[in-house]
Amino acid sequence: MLFNSLDFAIFLPVCFFIYWFLTHKNLRFQNLSIVVSSYFFYACWDWRFLSLILFSTLVDYTVGIGLEKETNKSKRAALLWTSICVNLGFLGFFKYHNFFLENFSSAFSLFGSEIKTTSLDIILPVGISFYTFQTLSYTLDVYKRKLQPTKDFISFAAFVCFFPQLVAGPIERATNLLPQFTKKRNFDYEKAVDGMRQILWGLFKKIVIADNCAQYANLIFNNSTDYSGSTLVLGALFFTFQIYGDFSGYSDIAIGTSRLFGFHLKQNFAFPYFSRDVAEFWRRWHISLSTWFRDYLYIPLGGSRGNKWQKIRNTFLVFCISGFWHGANWTFVIWGFLNACYFLPLLLKNNNRRHLDTVAQGNLLPSLKEFFSILITFGLTVFAWIFFRAENTSHAFQYIAEITSTSLFEIPKFEGMRNAVTTLFLTFLFVLIEWNGRAGQYGIQHMLLRWKKPMRTAFYFTIIIGILLAGGKEQNFIYFQF
Amino acid sequence: MMKKFLKQIGFLALPLLVVACLLEVLIRNIPNDYSLKKNYLDKNAAHIETLILGSSHSFYGLDPTFFSSKTFNGSHISQSLKYDLEILKKYENDLKNLTAIVLPISYFSLSEKLENGIESWRVKNYKIYYEIRTSNAYTDCSEVLSVKLSKNLYRLFLFYINKHSPITCNHLGWGFNYKSENALDLIESGKKAAQRHRASQYQNTFDENVAVLNNLVEWSSERNVSLILFTPPAFESYQKHLDKKQLNATVEIAQEKALAYENCSYLNLLDDSRFKANDYYDADHLSEIGAKKLSLLIDKQIPNLK
Repeated sequence: MLFNSLDFAIFLPVCFFIYWFLTHKNLRFQNLSIVVSSYFFYACWDWRFLSLILFSTLVDYTVGIGLEKETNKSKRAALLWTSICVNLGFLGFFKYHNFFLENFSSAFSLFGSEIKTTSLDIILPVGISFYTFQTLSYTLDVYKRKLQPTKDFISFAAFVCFFPQLVAGPIERATNLLPQFTKKRNFDYEKAVDGMRQILWGLFKKIVIADNCAQYANLIFNNSTDYSGSTLVLGALFFTFQIYGDFSGYSDIAIGTSRLFGFHLKQNFAFPYFSRDVAEFWRRWHISLSTWFRDYLYIPLGGSRGNKWQKIRNTFLVFCISGFWHGANWTFVIWGFLNACYFLPLLLKNNNRRHLDTVAQGNLLPSLKEFFSILITFGLTVFAWIFFRAENTSHAFQYIAEITSTSLFEIPKFEGMRNAVTTLFLTFLFVLIEWNGRAGQYGIQHMLLRWKKPMRTAFYFTIIIGILLAGGKEQNFIYFQF
Repeated sequence: MMKKFLKQIGFLALPLLVVACLLEVLIRNIPNDYSLKKNYLDKNAAHIETLILGSSHSFYGLDPTFFSSKTFNGSHISQSLKYDLEILKKYENDLKNLTAIVLPISYFSLSEKLENGIESWRVKNYKIYYEIRTSNAYTDCSEVLSVKLSKNLYRLFLFYINKHSPITCNHLGWGFNYKSENALDLIESGKKAAQRHRASQYQNTFDENVAVLNNLVEWSSERNVSLILFTPPAFESYQKHLDKKQLNATVEIAQEKALAYENCSYLNLLDDSRFKANDYYDADHLSEIGAKKLSLLIDKQIPNLK
């Protein structure tokens, strides 16, 4: 059930009605209704994998309670490792089994010994990377005694499977989300209206920007040998906006939906393409994942403390693992490695926390220096996305080789170029709106708050009609595959 | 607060719902091939002696005017075997005089389904206009839900403002749009069509379609109706790019049926030398010239079986 489908448009009001009207605002019933709705939502993808979620939930719930009672250090560590092994075991098997098998086989063949391997026909359970990390954050926080484990199984199950963020995040911390399941929730008009606005903007990003850009990105990447360097640059740009519109659009819908149910999820994207350096980009892109890696991997490894070599090691480890989290393909690892290369000079020169504020705050336009900083960061990001989107490493290198050839100076040309101009125009308008709203939680938040009601209503209808008229061919959310 | 919120949502949703309903009514009132065929069958099923079914190969390739019996062409673009069978089932009590069914077994007939191809948007036509329950998707019950708004607005504009009829077949169901004077490049179209018709997920669809074909053969055998299976002629540029494995498997199944059932015959016209370049509209579709030739040829097959 996609967020941009009619199924979801029916599912959401039904859940909303049950949640606020049939449960009589009883917390336990509300949480139960979330569990049932979420399991139904997940079963629409593949009911067989519900058992995985249930098993993860049971294990982490039990481990959590065990960790609280247990005082013996080694027994606590054993409990923690049980949770880590179960969660990462599932993830490893479903996501990385074939990758490791194929790579071991290739590595052995390099030394002249052939080993026979049989790849398994494994279906990747949707959202496994997201809910696995979310439940892991719970056990890790309970282990560190940062969080009291919950004894209410329904609340915990609801925290694990909360449908708005179950299949593609944001990866919520137990410290933020779990307490919300144990507190009484009252309907808040302002929050609900803001949530609806965020959903609307998320749908616009996904359906109008991402799905339209996807058509051209797919065409150009899938037939990259047929096109000139300039067309390939355009293809990379289309993908850059596709992935942003797709994933940040999904996050907006998830956050907005949560608000309808009285929950507050953390911001997952904060206008990353307006970043002035790569460090700022990573504070603004997929924030829930970046902070997860920061808190549970980078800092335990020593973070930016220690000597130069430790800093370098930690940076590369975190970026490469983060890349690998996205998929069992070397292209993702290289993408992570590239970002580490971008980030490292900033870290070593202690410049990685230079830009903590909003760019050109209070000004209509950025300064020339800011503009060029944004442009360079954007260019580096676009370059890295080529690896992220490519089928394999040789495809990525072939793509880059063509870009660096003389055909870069030819006029871009591909099938459907005329319609692509409309998409480019829409994307330009979208960037302007996002720039205007960069101080808010999402692009249109502040703008709408300043407007009077008739203007706001007209804007809602314009966006709805825009979605219905200019929407691209329905595409799956990219992050569902991760 | 909740009341206020629901009121606001209603205020936004209501105009959209009203407009959607209005659009649905207006679009459904636009005549189309499917409603035309359904109306014909509703009124004349009892008089039909020969019924042509199948995809665009028979829609454009078989003109009932050239048949000696009372013939109706019930085929349409990408109409796969499941839909042919459903049409027969819907009218089985009315088709009292039916003596023959003409069904193309093209290169893709057993390896493709309407639901999976680029023409899948046509599924809703069978549900809305033929009133056949062929899909479980509720979106297929509505024009507004199944077709993009921009396309629907364009359809409204063409019909209500431009006064352009979207009907592409005559009253006997033959598609008249593929005219010889507008013929396409046979070399280029042959390569493209062969690529388009190459099966991606071969085995499952193939088995499903063979099962439907068995039902079709059984259906006609039980009612003592002749079933004429034929592989339509195609230009050499199309033939050259076909996957031999897919083609042979398809032809073998058709031959098997013709051997196993007395009421069934099979004619392979794929490389029939009687069809020349000027008979084609594109490499795998006949123009009105080729359609006449093929219609007369198939018509001759019907008395042979009687």
